[in-house]
Amino acid sequence: MAKKLLDAAAIRHEAYASNIANVETPGYKRVDLDVNFDTQLKGAVRKHDLQALNSLSPTIAEDKAATAVRPDGNTVILEKELMLDNKNGVEYDFLTQYLSTNLQQLQAAMKTSGS
Amino acid sequence: MNIIPSLQTTGDALNAERIRMDVIAQNIANAQTTRDVNGKAYQRKVVSFAAVMSQATKDLRGLNGAQNNAQTGQSGLKTVRVSGITADTSPGERIYNPAHPDSDKNGYVSMPNVKMAQEMVDLITSSRAYEANLTVAKTGKAMADSALRFARDL
Repeated sequence: MAKKLLDAAAIRHEAYASNIANVETPGYKRVDLDVNFDTQLKGAVRKHDLQALNSLSPTIAEDKAATAVRPDGNTVILEKELMLDNKNGVEYDFLTQYLSTNLQQLQAAMKTSGS
Repeated sequence: MNIIPSLQTTGDALNAERIRMDVIAQNIANAQTTRDVNGKAYQRKVVSFAAVMSQATKDLRGLNGAQNNAQTGQSGLKTVRVSGITADTSPGERIYNPAHPDSDKNGYVSMPNVKMAQEMVDLITSSRAYEANLTVAKTGKAMADSALRFARDL
């Protein structure tokens, strides 16, 4: 599951980068991680359905909920994107640390049983 | 996928903003130019941006030959490019100055349609957008860093 979340964070960063790059493009609609990913992940975890979890892959989709606040129809709000991107970076950090600790624990367990 | 995610998109955006800043600098430099290469007063140039499908999205789709793909989805990732630099054709100010070498037979000089305040505001917007993209590059680098550190710790 941490792997899926890590994938999702990497994809999300790409989406935010695309949004910020197009902050001045008229008519550009912001993209984000597909909203279905969250619900599907939650569902798979709740049901302990490993197969569904493995087949799940994060995708990028246009953010339909975003409304244009500017006359050119662009739905990107720069400050919001930057905050989201920062938050996403911290999440990514957390996930790598979490995975690393997990694997270190496994390693420690293997060492003690070996001696 | 690249080691540092989003590097291409951010790079393209930085490039586009840099071109916009160059054009603004050109406008400001020519704010008093009454004789352009065509012999008329300088007309301010405007940069327009367009969103284009990123190479990464194209590559991913090319492999599968599909319109939508597991990673890129239907909309895909879009990078930005300069779609054109066009002249602003709105008329400039006309100033009465018969001593000026570029004055017409009534003694009026056509000045460029560059408005300093407008150019300054555009310049600030552009440099802010540039900064924002740099922040994204920094975040991407930090993410790649933490992924590599994770591999090293084991």
